[in-house]
Amino acid sequence: MTKRATTHATFVIERTLKHPPAKVFAAYADLTQKAKWFGGPPEWTRSTHTLDFRVGGRESESGGPHDGPEHTMNALYWDIVQNERIVMSYEMLLGPTRISVSLGTTEFKPAPEGTTLTYTEQGVFLDGFDDAGGRERGTHELLDQLVACLNS
Amino acid sequence: MTSTTHASFIIERRYQHAPKRVFAAWSDPQAKRAWFVEGEGWDIRSYEMDFHEGGEEKSSFRFVKGEETFGEETLFSNDTVFNEIIANERIIFTYSMARNGARFSISLASVEFSAEGQGTRLVFTEHAAFFDGADGVHMREAGWQELLLKLGDHLDKQGFGQ
Repeated sequence: MTKRATTHATFVIERTLKHPPAKVFAAYADLTQKAKWFGGPPEWTRSTHTLDFRVGGRESESGGPHDGPEHTMNALYWDIVQNERIVMSYEMLLGPTRISVSLGTTEFKPAPEGTTLTYTEQGVFLDGFDDAGGRERGTHELLDQLVACLNS
Repeated sequence: MTSTTHASFIIERRYQHAPKRVFAAWSDPQAKRAWFVEGEGWDIRSYEMDFHEGGEEKSSFRFVKGEETFGEETLFSNDTVFNEIIANERIIFTYSMARNGARFSISLASVEFSAEGQGTRLVFTEHAAFFDGADGVHMREAGWQELLLKLGDHLDKQGFGQ
């Protein structure tokens, strides 16, 4: 039997982007745009990415290194305010094992330079498979990819 | 502009009943309704629960003192999705709360059950996003404190059998 253990953690990442809120929001709302920045490192294989961007809609993305294991994200959208806020819950699976469940809030606020984006993740990391530090670093990398995508 | 506040809280409780019995009060729709939904001052309009991973629980209840507290007939609703269920050990769920159809919070909660002597240690952790100044973590925590007391009363009324 696996030893059950949970670690609860919250982290907040703030970025200032040189693009208006509507453009940044669209990079989350539209699958074609989101697929350009949301996912593992470029060398990973991607197997699926689906997005039904509405309250009650789901998103699923999976991929991983060539020699495995598959990383899968399954999300459910709980609240969407156009150009202002997205709240979703998501689980991460490593192979068949659930390693975390999180609540993620992304807020988009107009700033003189463009947009202040604030992402807050409140999560429960399960049975020692993952930790908040690693998740926070991974999320920074994702936001770097978002910025590069918007700037290109 | 919308505004969002994030907060978390933890409640720890001990019950003089085995984990299996405490867990059953969360997994059985009738038992869950008894302590989680029914309550003085609330007029239950609907309740349904499909207790499995990916399943939903939905309840709606009229606050009897809605007119005098909020100046209007007030219907609250709770929509829950179960993310993880490990029998007798852990439940993880996400839920939204709405007042008259307007969502005012989204939460992620975990409930952990572990054996302690003849009884159970229960740890309830909630992470929440509250919208536009609504509700608030102190009210939410007080609400769960009361619910977990009601859970204890419900278990005591059921007796100490296996």
